[in-house]
Formats: sequence, C-alpha cells, structure tokens
Amino acid sequence: MSRPNAPLVPTAWATIGPFFPNTFFREGDNDLTRMAPDAPPTAQGAPMWLTGRVLQEGGGPCVNAVLEAWQADAAGRFRHPRDPDWQQADPGFHGWGRAWTDAEGRFAFRTIIPGAYRDATGPRAPHINLAIIGSGIMGRLATTIFLPAFAEANAADPVLASLPEALRPLLVAQPDGLAEDGAPRFSLDLLLRGDAATETPFFED
Amino acid sequence: MQHPDRFDPLDPATQPVVPIPGYPNTQRRNPARAPFRRVLTRTELTGPLDLSQKLRPGDDNLAMLAPGRAAQGQLIHVGGRVLDEDGRPVAGAIVELWQANAGGRYFHPIDQRDAPLDPNFIGNGRTRSDAQGRYGFFTIKPGAYPVPDSGRWWRPPHIHISVLGPGSLMRLVTQMYFPGDPLNGLDRILNSVPDLAARARCIAASVLPTEIAGDWLGYTHDLVLRGRHATPPL
Ligand SMILES: [Fe+3]
Repeated sequence: MSRPNAPLVPTAWATIGPFFPNTFFREGDNDLTRMAPDAPPTAQGAPMWLTGRVLQEGGGPCVNAVLEAWQADAAGRFRHPRDPDWQQADPGFHGWGRAWTDAEGRFAFRTIIPGAYRDATGPRAPHINLAIIGSGIMGRLATTIFLPAFAEANAADPVLASLPEALRPLLVAQPDGLAEDGAPRFSLDLLLRGDAATETPFFED
Repeated sequence: MQHPDRFDPLDPATQPVVPIPGYPNTQRRNPARAPFRRVLTRTELTGPLDLSQKLRPGDDNLAMLAPGRAAQGQLIHVGGRVLDEDGRPVAGAIVELWQANAGGRYFHPIDQRDAPLDPNFIGNGRTRSDAQGRYGFFTIKPGAYPVPDSGRWWRPPHIHISVLGPGSLMRLVTQMYFPGDPLNGLDRILNSVPDLAARARCIAASVLPTEIAGDWLGYTHDLVLRGRHATPPL
C-alpha cells in the first residue's frame, strides 16, 4: 500500500482542563452493554459493575476526571477488524463506555465479565482497559484492570506480567458486594500519583 | 493486503512536559513512576469503530443556539481533517469541541469568574468526520481568560478538541490556538511542548475571507492521530 503523504507527526496532547462539558455525559454512557445510552442492555454474558475512586497525590479525590473503558465481549472478541474473529463478536455488546468522577472521585461502569482470548502474544486474561483524562493530565493515562476470579489466567497474562510482582495486585479489582441490579460489583482505587508501592501502574501508550 | 499495525512511540519532544509551573494539578495528577512498556495485543489495537450511537454528533453550530439567538463575538468556522500518521483520512471519528465564550468564560458550573455569561452561547459541540476525514464547526472566537491563582498567566484564546478514532491508541485530546495572538508565546500549556514545530502545529491557520462564504471568518486545523497502516476502513 502506498503512502499518500509523507509521514505526519501526531498532534500534541493537552489537558481537557477543568471545564470538560457536563452536557457531554448522558446517563447510560457508562454502560458498555448498551449500544446507545438510551437503548436497553443487549450484551450477552454475565453483568458486572466496575467501580472505584480516582485519587490524586496525597490521596484526595480527583474530581471531574473522565474515564473511558474498552473491553472484549463475553467470548473475548472485539468488534473491530484487527480482531480476526470480529465477525463473530456479539452484535449487542458495545464495549466502550465513558464515566466521570463525582465529588468523592467515584466512578462506575456497568459491563459484562469480559472473555479471555489468545493471540500471537499469548493468552490474555479477562480485562478491562481504562484511560483517564482530566484537568492537569496532559496525556491518556492508560491502565488495565483484571478480575480476582481468574487468578491462573492473570498469572499468565503478558501485560500483567510486565509489572513487578508486588504491583500486580494494584490492578486486580476486588469483590464489593452486589449492585442494585443484583450484578456483582468489583472495586478498586486508582491513585494517579503516590509512592512506589501504591501509585497505580500505567502503561506506555 | 494486510500490513502490520504500527503505533510507534510518541516522540516526547512533541508532547507536553509536566509538571507545568502555576498548574498544580499537573503535579498532583501525573504519575511519579514512568509508564510500563507492554506488548500490544488486540485489546490495545482495537477500539470502538463508530461511536456515533453512543456519542451522538449533530451539534456543529455553536454560534446559533436557536433561530434568532446568535452568540456574541466574531463568528468563525473551524475545520480541517482528521488524519493518521500516513496522512490517510480517518473517517467516522467523533470530534468533540468545547470553549469559552467571547468574554473568556465557560458555560460550566465551576467557572465562577467575574466575566459575562452569554445566554446564547453554551460552547459545546460534537461532530463526526466524513469519508475524507473532514470535520468542521461554526462557532465564535473565544476570549482569553486568566488562570486562577497562577499570578499573571492568561490562557490565550483556544478551543479544546477531543477526537475518538477507531482505535484506543488513536485517542487525542488537544487545544487549538489562533495565529498571531500575543498570549500564545506566554502560554504555559502550549509552551510545555518542547518541539517548536509541534507547538506551531497547535496553532490554526487563517483561511482568506475570499475562500469561504457568508459571515464566517475561517480557520483550518488538521488533527493527526497516532497510527500507521492502522486506519481500518469503515
Ligand atoms: Fe480552556
């Protein structure tokens, strides 16, 4: 394939600043199982919630942070041509959602338990990708959240394995009871800046 | 013919350096530890192909809240192309835009500055790039505003832009500046990018008035997302 132009350099990032519009959020945006915010949930699989807090240096809440989630469907497929099985992906699972933090730094996503899959890099454990943007954040803080029920798969996951062993638990959400709709809730805090033992590990983009 | 995806690391000189003096959140909210390198698998190389059901486009005229309710300020059109690193158009990208009004105040509960609100200007819009990667908004030129508790740091007139392309690694949040503004050279956010050419690319270009019709002063601004051989067809 030819290149239509000389290579371009990606545009410089900047912060969203303090004034990211509240009106950009609609109820349901944080639900990955809906194809549209006002559509009913249509995904196959076991519903779950991923909740937690975004904290800044000193442990205080990071207010008005925006989180974007992306994950595979219940069978471990992505509805995207870079997944060889994308035509079999669940047409009722959107896979993307956006949430924002409240005055306590809390966020919540409703989704389904993601499926595991295997590709050239090896077996990937069920996981949810999160990106955090917010005032003062000058890029995408990208991390990946794992679930405690898949200890064996987590141990074999090449991305989790790229972290020192002591930091891996920081990316495993913990069971946190049931949500109002009866679905299990998994929770964890994301500390944007802290000491080496507690700061959330982020990945190079 | 399938080419491998390529997401080369960003050249750090072309991206902001933190912390930024006078902007405490750049200290509190950026990790102390360097990010970990990871292998890129499907999960990083994919992303929502088309978000227009979830993030609905349609608000691309910010300057006219309703018929007969024009915003205060210089009417402008901001448009350009969403491209990947190979210069290929990125079709179907969601482009979100937000900005202050002509007096430099945001329609946002946490902007309590003593500058006038314009009842005819909200300043938030969303559109979707077309098959040629083109996007465009009708809006007004935003005013400058001082950054609270920062001494004498004023933000130059700028427009916030968020782009969601068809891959997680293509995500972009940026700010667009206006050519020739004396505050550009003093802005700590724009100047946190070390590379002068990368900084210059954050400044829109004027379109000569003869080239556009109507009441709109034109600015053109291309947005380059990460990725080579990476833009899937829609
Ligand atoms: Fe701003």
